[in-house]
Amino acid sequence: MSATPVSRSEAPAEVTIRLSNISKYYAGVTALENVTVEFYANEVHAVLGENGAGKSTLMKIIAGTIQPDTGQIEFGDRIVSPLSPDSAVALGIAISFQHPAILGDLTVLENFQLALPPSIFEGKSATDLTREALAEVGLDIPLNVRADQLNIAQKHLLEIAKALAIRPKLLILDEPTSALGKDATDMLFDRIRQVASKGTAVLYITHRMAEVRQIAQRITILRDGQFQGVMPVDEISDADVLNMIVGRTLTDAFPPKAKGDVAEIDFAVEGLSGDKFTDVSFAVPHGKIIGVAGVEGNGQSELMRAIAGLQPSEGRLELKGQALSYQDLQKQTAFMPSDRLTEGIASSLTVRENASFGALDKFAQRGIVRHRKEMGAVGEVFRSLSVKAGNSEASILSLSGGNQQKVVMARALLSEPGLVVADEPTQGVDVGARFEIYSILRELSQQGIPIVVNSSDSAELEGLCDEVIVLSRGRIVAHLTGDEVREEKIVSAAVNAHGTEVGHKAKAAKGVLQAGKWRQFLQSDLAPVVPLSLVVVLISLYVFGQNASFFSAYNVSNLLLLATPLGFIALGQTVALLTGGIDLSVGPLSGFLVVVASFFINDGDSAALMLLGFFLIFGSGFLVGAINGVLIRFGDFTPISATLTLFIGIQGFSFLLREGVGGFISYPVIDAINTAIGPIPVAFIVMVLLAIVGEYMLRKTRMGWQLKAVGSNEEAARRIGVRVDRVFIAGYILTSLLTALGAVMLMAQIGVGDPRQGTSYTLTSIAAVVLGGTSLRGGRGSFVGTILGAILLTVVLSAVAFLGLSQAHQYFFQGALMLVAALIFSAASQSKGASGLGRSWLGRRKALKLSSA
Amino acid sequence: MAGNSKTAPFFSSAGSGIFRMPGPQILTVLLSIVGLVVASIFFAPSSITLGAVSGSIPFAAVLAIVGLGQLLVVQQGGFDLSVPGGVSLAVVICAHVPAGDNAVLPYAVGLAICAALATGILNGVMVGVFRVNAVIATIGVNALLYGGVFAVSGGVPILTTPLLQKIVIGTTFGIPHSVYFALAALIVVAFVVKKTVMGRRFEVIGANKTAAAAVGLRVRLHESMAYVYAQLLYCLAGILLAGILREPTAFQGEALLLPSIAVVVLGGTLSGGRGYPLATFIAAIFLNQLSQFALAVGVPYSGQSIIQALALGLGISVHSMQRRFGQRKLT
Repeated sequence: MSATPVSRSEAPAEVTIRLSNISKYYAGVTALENVTVEFYANEVHAVLGENGAGKSTLMKIIAGTIQPDTGQIEFGDRIVSPLSPDSAVALGIAISFQHPAILGDLTVLENFQLALPPSIFEGKSATDLTREALAEVGLDIPLNVRADQLNIAQKHLLEIAKALAIRPKLLILDEPTSALGKDATDMLFDRIRQVASKGTAVLYITHRMAEVRQIAQRITILRDGQFQGVMPVDEISDADVLNMIVGRTLTDAFPPKAKGDVAEIDFAVEGLSGDKFTDVSFAVPHGKIIGVAGVEGNGQSELMRAIAGLQPSEGRLELKGQALSYQDLQKQTAFMPSDRLTEGIASSLTVRENASFGALDKFAQRGIVRHRKEMGAVGEVFRSLSVKAGNSEASILSLSGGNQQKVVMARALLSEPGLVVADEPTQGVDVGARFEIYSILRELSQQGIPIVVNSSDSAELEGLCDEVIVLSRGRIVAHLTGDEVREEKIVSAAVNAHGTEVGHKAKAAKGVLQAGKWRQFLQSDLAPVVPLSLVVVLISLYVFGQNASFFSAYNVSNLLLLATPLGFIALGQTVALLTGGIDLSVGPLSGFLVVVASFFINDGDSAALMLLGFFLIFGSGFLVGAINGVLIRFGDFTPISATLTLFIGIQGFSFLLREGVGGFISYPVIDAINTAIGPIPVAFIVMVLLAIVGEYMLRKTRMGWQLKAVGSNEEAARRIGVRVDRVFIAGYILTSLLTALGAVMLMAQIGVGDPRQGTSYTLTSIAAVVLGGTSLRGGRGSFVGTILGAILLTVVLSAVAFLGLSQAHQYFFQGALMLVAALIFSAASQSKGASGLGRSWLGRRKALKLSSA
Repeated sequence: MAGNSKTAPFFSSAGSGIFRMPGPQILTVLLSIVGLVVASIFFAPSSITLGAVSGSIPFAAVLAIVGLGQLLVVQQGGFDLSVPGGVSLAVVICAHVPAGDNAVLPYAVGLAICAALATGILNGVMVGVFRVNAVIATIGVNALLYGGVFAVSGGVPILTTPLLQKIVIGTTFGIPHSVYFALAALIVVAFVVKKTVMGRRFEVIGANKTAAAAVGLRVRLHESMAYVYAQLLYCLAGILLAGILREPTAFQGEALLLPSIAVVVLGGTLSGGRGYPLATFIAAIFLNQLSQFALAVGVPYSGQSIIQALALGLGISVHSMQRRFGQRKLT
């Protein structure tokens, strides 16, 4: 069963990286134990193993993202452990993640520039360099489309391109072909061979034996965290590899299987196609359990959701001889989700509530839940499942994983289902509870409830299921029955499959994004600028038609000046929203800073005192921003609760400094701030310039990309090396500093310290930012848009006054503007956010469906 | 690995009531208020005299009702910034439409309720159906409501209707009626959320939308309805305010927005999670008494809001520490 390691003498001379005696444990569970392995330059080294064998852990240790409990890492001839992500990058270790660390809100070019060290771009045009790097992996996409427009295959290629672009000494590829079609895979393999021939060590993680034969020279096999052996690929047969991958002794016991052939079909699926799976047909005979197997990510979980009726699909679903729509099927199905924490349990609820929430109407009379009935039913089902819950009113999180899963099963039983769909029912469940779960599933099956189980543990499927279907790239590649239901057969069918990809994905991988300039603009953050300007112009012209003095120099100057405090504050709010947060404290902060100024910037004060005043304005702003940021990042406050607390506190400080109106601001200072060139105030020009500079920085500088990256996807940003906490806090400080600029303008306008002023800017600033098209979900937005939003709000205000309308109209207009803008943006983001290009253009999607049919 | 509380009886009777066995959230606010009362006895006895309490308790009642509305929205993972508009509109409809005429009052109240329903549905459709961010949707709707407030009132205060004043500030057993209204609101909210099928589903959806969707619950409908319930509660608060104040201004709701969020947060309810109506209610009383206390010991208005901010910050920290501690126990 076990092969001896290759003797060292056969190895090529140069060792790129050597890991010695690496072990890693998670809460007592072994992820890796005593693994020693070397990777050589000029060689592709495949690492194989089942899910959970320790491949990803090994990769993360090399990447420096997790630290091993024991062991040592040598790079070249130096000991480099402990590795950090930074030092790993510095050594020339590049990783292409299985789930690409791509930021959907950033463009392809921005993703590329942000992920790579700046030194790469020195002396070269970033666009050319990126285009070349993308061409190397056969990716022909416009650089300025947003990454969320890419399909999954394109994202994978972009991820690989990023890794290749730094000319790494060690290249780690984690399942790089899982989303790629055959052409893209072949092209990628050519690239990998090329890279290896130039001296790079390639660590290739995969599930697929066929790929290993094509690309790798050497193969290491892991099983349950243990090193199984390393050998040259051409010296070992598929069967031996398979034995080393599986070969697990069955420690779990299983209940006896169903006997004999059964003609009666309880549940049938015919020609089912959907997201990530195509033309799937199988039947569940009476009293049998059907298993679904395959390498992770080959459409199994999507199939499970579809047969549970949670997702629409095309094809026929038949329960007990009755064809059902997916909605009707859902009502009769109990679904046990694989991701227990996000989909299985409601962690803030009690054990009892978690067990009963699928079947509340069964315990109710006239809409009121009968406590006794509920407790009785829950208690009974808990006893039959032997759930070890100390107290039914305890938090669900106080239970072990196995018992949590039994509570999910209890919920399924209480709803008296016609079908049970269990996705990874024993994931994170201890051995003892596993057997009980198997027994319960078997018992349900004997009661005549059809059961479909998806599991990445082939041994489990062997022990539990009467029949197993194996999926590869969304299609059934094997249907095992009777004696064929054995672990090796399942694994071999899954890893040896050569299936082509599901139709629409293969197509889309090659698809070229349409890149008309106009279309790109429509999808960019700047798109709202056009309609906003148009609305501003139309309103102005209309008011001008009614009252010619609207365009008088005096009024124009006044209007623009009026827009500046809101404009600056809204620019600040834009920064907070870009990080995915929000700052409610900007309003009171602006008022507070004016109050502060009213003590220092008075007529007759010395220049030094006035300077101190300005210093205090910006100093206090800085402090408030820092407090906001620190509370959110390190104090476990949400952005709303932190900035709300500051909102109230700052208001208090304003009143502490001044109980009423007082402290007139120096007239010369006010005049200086309000200086205008012709009808255009200088402050307004400054604001516009600032917005343009901000816009430039957001698009062209690392700082700007980092800001957007943090708001777009914190986890992915962290993985590509963005210092998330630092960026976030800096963002809040910037928000407050811009608010301080707004306060300076506000000071010149109200001319006196008044603790009651300013608070309304909180909501108005959010309104201006949203009108400008910045997303409250973070990651995308535009400073120029924000300015236009602020101008629009000010114009509306002024227009209402000029037209002699009541204040009611002013509010109606504002509200209607907000809602209409919000509706438009939300519709736009939904069609974009769906899943890349496939869904953004209806016509295209239809065509794809036809081609996959 | 198994549960850590094996000794406790499985069927605990304490959990059967509407107000389950006091959880850490309720204990926290209860302890705070007890501490505050003790401090008042020693340092500011005037703040807990009958006169002081009965003068301020109607405002606590209004805040509690508004807080319950905000709670329902926050529980669904949303945020309702249309509190000022909702409350103010109810106030001006009840004050300006009858313009002192008792006979018109019932129609005015009916009109206010209709307006609240329409507002709630608008918010709910924007958030639940069109998936507009709750903050944006409710800011926009709030502006529309303010438009309505101006249209009804012209922005000026007016003397309230004698009948309404009599109903609201009248007392039974020495307790102002507004308090009974608030208690009724609390009992209805707590009963519906904890005891009915609808409410229990509402709570599950708040606690975990994906899990709720996986058993086929109608997530979007419940999410939308939260805004309708909230507006009805704001409306009740507005009607009470129109009676409590002799001459209510047009923008009476403005001052309630932040406290409404503060009491929800102080009550331990997080965005998307279990809601704690009783804790929210107590937090409203606490916040009110805190102001009274500060006033009695001579802290000016400025000091009051600083104290409130500190209390809020402290409250959030305590709750988040409780949660962290609770999670640490598991591993």
